[in-house]
Amino acid sequence: MDAEEILRGIKPLVGQVTAIRTVQETRPREDYADAYVTEVNVKCASKVIKVLDSSFPRDSSQSLSHLRRFAKHNQVPEHLRPILLREGSSPAQTIFVLISPPLPDIESLQNVLSPFAPPDIPTGTKLTFHTVRIPLQPPLTTAQADAWSNTMWPVVFNPSAPRAMIAPPPQILSRARDSIQPKAGRYLALAQRVAKEAEQSGLGRRVGAVVVDPDLEHQLENEEIDIHWSDAVVAVAGDGRYSRTAVSEPGPNPASQTYNPDHEGGPELHALMRVVELIASKRREDRPGSSSTGRPCLNHLETYFLSQSDVTRPDDDSKDPSPVPEKYQKTETSFHAIHKHPEPTENDTPTTARIRPRSQGGYLCTDLDVYLTHEPCICCCMGLLLSRFRAVIYPRSARMVSGGLASEPVLKPVPVDEDTSAPETQDPTPDDTQPKREYYGLHWRKELNWRALGFEFVEDTVTETDKEPEGITKAVEFHA
Amino acid sequence: MSDIISSELQESASQHAYFMKKALMMGEKALETGETPVGCILVYDNKIVGSGMNDTNKSMNGTRHAEFIAIEEMLQTYPRSALRSTDLYVTVEPCVMCASALRQYRIRKVYFGCGNERFGGTGSILSLHSDLSLDPPYPVHGGLFHKEAIMLLRRFYIQENEKAPKPRPKKHRELKTDFDREAPLTSPAP
Repeated sequence: MDAEEILRGIKPLVGQVTAIRTVQETRPREDYADAYVTEVNVKCASKVIKVLDSSFPRDSSQSLSHLRRFAKHNQVPEHLRPILLREGSSPAQTIFVLISPPLPDIESLQNVLSPFAPPDIPTGTKLTFHTVRIPLQPPLTTAQADAWSNTMWPVVFNPSAPRAMIAPPPQILSRARDSIQPKAGRYLALAQRVAKEAEQSGLGRRVGAVVVDPDLEHQLENEEIDIHWSDAVVAVAGDGRYSRTAVSEPGPNPASQTYNPDHEGGPELHALMRVVELIASKRREDRPGSSSTGRPCLNHLETYFLSQSDVTRPDDDSKDPSPVPEKYQKTETSFHAIHKHPEPTENDTPTTARIRPRSQGGYLCTDLDVYLTHEPCICCCMGLLLSRFRAVIYPRSARMVSGGLASEPVLKPVPVDEDTSAPETQDPTPDDTQPKREYYGLHWRKELNWRALGFEFVEDTVTETDKEPEGITKAVEFHA
Repeated sequence: MSDIISSELQESASQHAYFMKKALMMGEKALETGETPVGCILVYDNKIVGSGMNDTNKSMNGTRHAEFIAIEEMLQTYPRSALRSTDLYVTVEPCVMCASALRQYRIRKVYFGCGNERFGGTGSILSLHSDLSLDPPYPVHGGLFHKEAIMLLRRFYIQENEKAPKPRPKKHRELKTDFDREAPLTSPAP
């Protein structure tokens, strides 16, 4: 069957796109530690900070900037009042300083801070250091900040900085979800079709990848007509893990019925890695799909979409095809830039190939979305981050024991609203039918330099027979 | 008796040094060609059977790390199963992607120079060499020529990135040569 025929026969999956929570959200770290508090002369406050910072180096890996370094009398939490507020001390004269971990020994603290003792205390009297409990992580919400300020120590809530490390900013996430939702079912159905091709060829497992350029999608015309819905697809690839060894006959490869590492080919032959390399070959302006790395197109759907990238449409010459420079920036410094869509203007017809070559500013897989039939293995998850995809989407029913994106077991009932700020009142029950696995949530981890938006597609109805007609893939654990 | 043991130890130490220097040479080559200076070699049966350096810029493929290049070279001559008896020497701790790939390939042991606090997958950020997985864990030994590996990276990052949309001027940066922190050394698989 030719590729256009196949595209006409694609029946979209029906379901909802749901954001994968980050591990920072599913496993919020609430670490606490001890700190000291002592009363000092309010007039010396800045000197106190200076002498503390110069005498006792702070742990640079642990930012404690959410903790107030001083508490005025009226800011002292209720439970500390009987301990800290002594008779005779006055808000006009004294203030309470926090000495946070790593904690120096009391004697050195005495030596350093004794010159700044409260003015009403006779000279030579030792300062009293009270032990208090402090939160080591910055608060995620104002409510949390208030709670900590009332029960532990005054903290400051910074709405921007810490949040982006914890999870994608809500408005960016919901805007992306809304733009992905309408067509996700179709792209995933295409990915499944690509997967089927891979399996039938005997060259790989039944795993497929479809890469879409959301910018092209914004400019789509006639998308209801024929196969124009696929005009924003820049590349597809099926799994090719058996392609290194000669395949004698077509049909599913017998090796796919078990997991034998010696037959698995390696992650660079997984669908995600292959689609990344196909896109790279276009960026390099190699001959289509025949890269020097020996990873050619393996089926005609792959070839079809790569050749679509050669198509050029009428050029209006007025448009500078150079990319938006901010797009190259790191998530850390400008995380919102990578999700920015240029506003489509009237004359904004695409004049270039679907995959811009390097000479026109094309760069890795920046700003592209990848739709996968399965939750990708850890290696491919990091591969997609290093390739700078904007978003990754796979069906929740195709989670893998070896996957790297899910951040928690599937919860029952499946949460439908996205109001993540709502407090988790009841403990949802994990689906205990799932095999034991690790949950890495690699798409958005604060430790990693790159991040992508992660989504699961929750089908309205899933019947096992629909999913795996051959009934083999599901039973075998492997790296997708 | 003890003489034999110590000479064996010496011999293996000098072997590790030899292989790590080869990996560092690959890193030098990467630096010369404008790639992030990470180099590695694969050793099977005491022979170097694959070598690689980062190739992400030239290939326009962000996944073309040294480890993948080396494995690809090895697989041209050897069956995949040979990787079970193969050791990797790499200048920088394998990233999360490569750490998982090495596990899937069932590498025998990994030796690296310096840790990778941004992406490290064998102890710095994740511990994919020892976490629960379909494939057995592999042991990791870090800190081999650790200073040399760090200096390679410093020499790279002090350069201005002309390809960046807004190159950051780094004229006033000086190449640091001090090492105030000792590198973490071994993190054996359980």
